[in-house]
Amino acid sequence: MSKLSFTDARHLVTRTGLGAEWETIERFQQLTRQQAIAHLLQNRDNQLPRTPSMSPWSRTVSLMGNMRRKKMVKRISRVEGKKLQDWWVKHLVDTRSPFLERMTLFWHNHFPSSIQKTQQASMLHQQNLLFRKHAFGNFGEMLHRVAKDPAMLVYLDGYVSTKEEPNENFSRELLELFTLGLGNYSEADMREASRAFTGWGLDNRTGQFVNRAQDHDNDSKTFLGKRGNFKGEDIINILLKHPKTAETIATKMWHEFITLSPPKPAVIKQWAQVFRGSNYNISTLLSAVLNSPDFWAKHNRGALIKSPIDLTIGTLRTLPYSSAHTDLAHNLNIMGQAVFAHPSVKGWDGGTSWISTQSLLRRNSMMNNLTKGNLNEHKYKGRVAQQLPDIKPTHMRDWLLAIAPLQTPPKKPGKQRLARALVLDPAYQVN
Amino acid sequence: MSKMNRRDFLKYAGFITAAGAAPLLTPELLWGAGSRQRIVVLVELKGGNDGFNTLVPFKDELYYKYRPRIAIQQRQVLSLNDEMGLHPRMKALMPLWNSGQMAWVQGVGYPHPILSHFRSMDIWDSASNTNQYLEDGWLTQVLPRFKQGLHGVALNKGQAELGPLQSPQLNAVTMQDPRNFLSQIRRIHDVTPSRATPAIAHVSQIQHQLFSAGKQIATKMGKSPKRAGVGFSKGVLGHSLESVAEMIINGIDAPVYKVTQDGFDTHSGQRGAQDNGLYQLANGLASFQKSMQHAGRWDDILVMTYSEFGRRAKENRGGGTDHGTASSQLILGGKVKGGIYGKHPDFSKLDANGNVQHTTDFRAIYGTLAQRWWGQKNPWAGHSTLPFV
Repeated sequence: MSKLSFTDARHLVTRTGLGAEWETIERFQQLTRQQAIAHLLQNRDNQLPRTPSMSPWSRTVSLMGNMRRKKMVKRISRVEGKKLQDWWVKHLVDTRSPFLERMTLFWHNHFPSSIQKTQQASMLHQQNLLFRKHAFGNFGEMLHRVAKDPAMLVYLDGYVSTKEEPNENFSRELLELFTLGLGNYSEADMREASRAFTGWGLDNRTGQFVNRAQDHDNDSKTFLGKRGNFKGEDIINILLKHPKTAETIATKMWHEFITLSPPKPAVIKQWAQVFRGSNYNISTLLSAVLNSPDFWAKHNRGALIKSPIDLTIGTLRTLPYSSAHTDLAHNLNIMGQAVFAHPSVKGWDGGTSWISTQSLLRRNSMMNNLTKGNLNEHKYKGRVAQQLPDIKPTHMRDWLLAIAPLQTPPKKPGKQRLARALVLDPAYQVN
Repeated sequence: MSKMNRRDFLKYAGFITAAGAAPLLTPELLWGAGSRQRIVVLVELKGGNDGFNTLVPFKDELYYKYRPRIAIQQRQVLSLNDEMGLHPRMKALMPLWNSGQMAWVQGVGYPHPILSHFRSMDIWDSASNTNQYLEDGWLTQVLPRFKQGLHGVALNKGQAELGPLQSPQLNAVTMQDPRNFLSQIRRIHDVTPSRATPAIAHVSQIQHQLFSAGKQIATKMGKSPKRAGVGFSKGVLGHSLESVAEMIINGIDAPVYKVTQDGFDTHSGQRGAQDNGLYQLANGLASFQKSMQHAGRWDDILVMTYSEFGRRAKENRGGGTDHGTASSQLILGGKVKGGIYGKHPDFSKLDANGNVQHTTDFRAIYGTLAQRWWGQKNPWAGHSTLPFV
């Protein structure tokens, strides 16, 4: 098989990483498709920046017990939540394994747990480590661990669910969003599942999962046509046997990697089969996705809308602009992608919902600010111009844009001027 | 205009933008100077507001039996009549009840209710049946019949959602507030919408819409705009309502504004969270009413709250309530006929999920707005309108 062309290498780099990194594109042009995909799936560097200091759960519990101090919890969570956001955003800019970050973001968005509800940054940090560890691993194992993850137990009220009064929040979202999807179960199934999860709680001292047998509903339950004295683990195992679970993940992969347009049902069925056939090996599914004809199809180039992270972090990883005076996490928040603070349990909708008149204004302002500066390269030996690769304008266009620009390029010459014009073109918003 | 058709004339006169899609007709051109836009302000209560702790059935024994910990005690209720009363944190709105400008519709819901936040909100936004999937917001069936140009503005901190204003047929914008909007709009260029991929089609269409709306807002509010004239509470909803007031006062001609108050998904610790949400709601709306009254526009305004669903009749162990069905919706306005409409759901007849039966279909309210407020054909004629306006 032949080596990757420049545009194919660019496509693979930008869809799996964060930005169109020039050096990676050059390197991938030495590889065939299979080699490049295998390289992406095998090589991961998980060196993380230093963990910010965060209060333990025991402190939150003791403060929450006191009405006067409840406000302190909110204040602490705001400060620590921001530190945690900065921690991840810094790593997104610096990482040598952008594919790992993309997949960690993918799972972070499949299993959201917002700081606004949990108010516990240390738990969200722990959850983030869980996603990185299993990002390319086994989905079944990840699902079991997420169900017992402290941040998730707080976020969806699982930790207050008992046999006398089971709380439905977790089991509803488990069925609707994490596995089967609406229409594949009944309200009765959801209620029975919530009974099976009763008794799962948190240790007040350590903030870790505990099973409180006295709070668990030991009676028989009927779930998706099966009857038994199910525990939470049994419910998850039944869900993992259901074909819709793999289809839900396959559909999300389609929208992450292929296009925002609706998926082809036959392709989803096929990917789901591969996924279940591998006992939910995420790398196997990713390999099927990245090797698929749909991934490489020319009509799917520029078929995704960049997320705020793709747009902002991607630009910083592609072009030599400085973000020294920019609060990146804050800017991502106002563009609609606040990490550790999803708008709802559905996570970010992505696709067309990234672009509203409100967010487009902010995205445009952000790109304006990043790329501003004196564009006259003769008078001003700009750092940016010197660091740009020495390429022709058409090549620059093919590097920075997935589809043809909508606006006419600037008449005046200059690489920096052209780069800015391309970044500000509406075509730069898609990939 | 012998040699020039109307479209050419408009283009010549500068009323059509580069893309030629939505012409920027001013309201004066359409209705003649001085005609006043009838406005609807939609207040989305996100998360599923508990209607039973909002409009409280304080004579219903089952209400107190079902909710031993979170019920509003009778002595705290602000009574509206012998049976129903307001949550005490909504005190700021009582003058509007006393002057007959506050209406409530009880038991609002739809058949075969869905208890998913997202799907149920889609149903409310699009006015669909449970088994029907519609792309466009319900206002698409009403607004284009009588209004060109700007159809609506949705405001929220972070990301505002168009919801009922979502449609390729509607010119609607989202923003945090006009000040933020104007500080960024001058950098936006008009573009000709592209169809190279569905993704760029969406981006370029939004950019074009933004340019059109930006022109009107910059003209009306660019230099020293008039202020709302009253103080608003500091929360997100207060800020959004203040912005709506300013846009109306400065002559922005949108027939619909949408604002959002979050935090009604009260699975646990409901009293704290919902009490605060209702306080924000009542105070924000009370300030908004004063501002509109001062500006002489209150008679042109109809405020309506809505939420994806209500909550379960019985409280849960966490001192909260799980997802429910029917809820009460609030309607305010200078021309509103105050009173309580619809029927309080029967607490003794709960379904298998422990939920009440709805008594009024939500589309009856939409139809009332279309027909009795805007004077248009009722697209939901199967549901009879309500006489609250």
